[in-house]
Amino acid sequence: MELGQALLDQQVTDRKGELMGKVDGVIVELRKAKPPRVAGLLIGGGTAAERVHAGWARWLLRWRRGWGPRHDEPLEVPWGKVLKIGVDVKVDLDAERTPALDWEHWIRDRIISRIPGA
Amino acid sequence: MNKLVEIALGLVTGIGGFLEAGSLATSAQAGASFGFQLVWAIALGTICIAFLIEMAGRLAAVSKHTLPDAMRERFGIRFFTVPLVVVVLVSFLVLASEIGGVSLALQLATGIRFQWWAPAVALAVWLLLWAHNFSLVEKGASLLGLVTLVFLVGAHKLHAPLGEIGSNLIPSLPREDSAKYWFTAVSIIGASVSPYLFYFYSAGAIEDHWDEGYLGVNRVIAGLGMGFGGTVAVAVLVCAALVFHTSGVQIDRYEQIPLILAQPLGRWGFILFVASLGIACFGAALEIALQIAYLVAQGFGWKWGENIRPSQAARFSLVYTGAILLAGLLILTGIDPLKLTVFSMALTALSLPVTVVPLLIVMNDPEYLGDNVNHWIANTAVLVVSVIACVVALVAIPLQFLGGS
Repeated sequence: MELGQALLDQQVTDRKGELMGKVDGVIVELRKAKPPRVAGLLIGGGTAAERVHAGWARWLLRWRRGWGPRHDEPLEVPWGKVLKIGVDVKVDLDAERTPALDWEHWIRDRIISRIPGA
Repeated sequence: MNKLVEIALGLVTGIGGFLEAGSLATSAQAGASFGFQLVWAIALGTICIAFLIEMAGRLAAVSKHTLPDAMRERFGIRFFTVPLVVVVLVSFLVLASEIGGVSLALQLATGIRFQWWAPAVALAVWLLLWAHNFSLVEKGASLLGLVTLVFLVGAHKLHAPLGEIGSNLIPSLPREDSAKYWFTAVSIIGASVSPYLFYFYSAGAIEDHWDEGYLGVNRVIAGLGMGFGGTVAVAVLVCAALVFHTSGVQIDRYEQIPLILAQPLGRWGFILFVASLGIACFGAALEIALQIAYLVAQGFGWKWGENIRPSQAARFSLVYTGAILLAGLLILTGIDPLKLTVFSMALTALSLPVTVVPLLIVMNDPEYLGDNVNHWIANTAVLVVSVIACVVALVAIPLQFLGGS
């Protein structure tokens, strides 16, 4: 559990070192007669907002559904994919292929790339 | 990069970049209204920011985290939202003040009202950031910023009485107009200890890949850079004091302010005043816009960087674009830039505990700093100044508004 606490809100990088968000949530597996353990990480999808204030989070997600990338679920990173925990949490994924950068891509395609010089 | 070159660059940025709308407005107002009496406020603010800049640099070099990154990690998203929102709001107002400052410089130069310059100024600021080569822009802005040294020349030409100025390094109580005195003192502190300065510095240290070998460089840049910069602010106060306070003339129009240099230095004084105002505020606008984007991006783990193509860091670019757009619009409404500036500075002082205490907590956490945690002197100095500034601001701001400014 201490590991879970230590992981929360850390910067996440993919296998190439690209920034892909923060550890917004931690998936904890409860086991019978054994201490709970970290099963995975959650990135994005309103997870962080929920930790700030559940009510605001719901409002935020409702508002976001009107536009932006249609998929708004958090990315689940299974524990097995965590490569290294140091200054950042490095995971064995390619950020570009995950939903973690959905908003980044949407804003890039719909707004930023429409402005000359981007 | 060669460490000596880094020091030189850091010093140039510290000296040339210290003055901006806030320090110019508050130092000039202090000099015009209270003579040399408020020199201690500039000194106190300068000491405080020197400590904070050193801390931001040390945090980056030792922990390899930027300040927002470390703050979110250390406090969790819940508590992080408080400094996040406060600093973004305050920084936004200061950004608008800087755009207002450049617009005002253009009004002084051309006679065309400042608000009509706001869109062009905002566009120019945005274009330089959009060109994603900020390292180059920064060096240029820092070098150009050295024009502000003209205030030292002006003060010398006005035969600034160094002894008398020096004696005012010791705080004194106001002889009259207490509300305005304390409001001005607090605004000066807010102008010196602007959060954008140390947030921006921490991002720069990370981009330059500082490590523990840079701790000495960091200390020199923080101490000497801010120290020299503070001296320029004192020079502004001195010029304003000798031109306005001694003669009892009140400043009611913008067109009078350049007199603080035009009187000692004639036509060139006017030109260099306008140039100083324009360049200093423009440089600050660039930094603050970037800093707001850093704060949001680093807090949420997005890609960020001053030399990355906008399409490669879309959310980051969107934040600074939005900030500049809104700030420009605010000035376009014709809001008095001088009043906005001084108000933002007082607000900065009021919010100091919220922006500074999280940094102090991180700086005393061995998990981030190892053996390089804060010395008790640094902690005490910064904490005391922040809390006192906040308390005084709580009282002085309403009083100032009730009494009219």
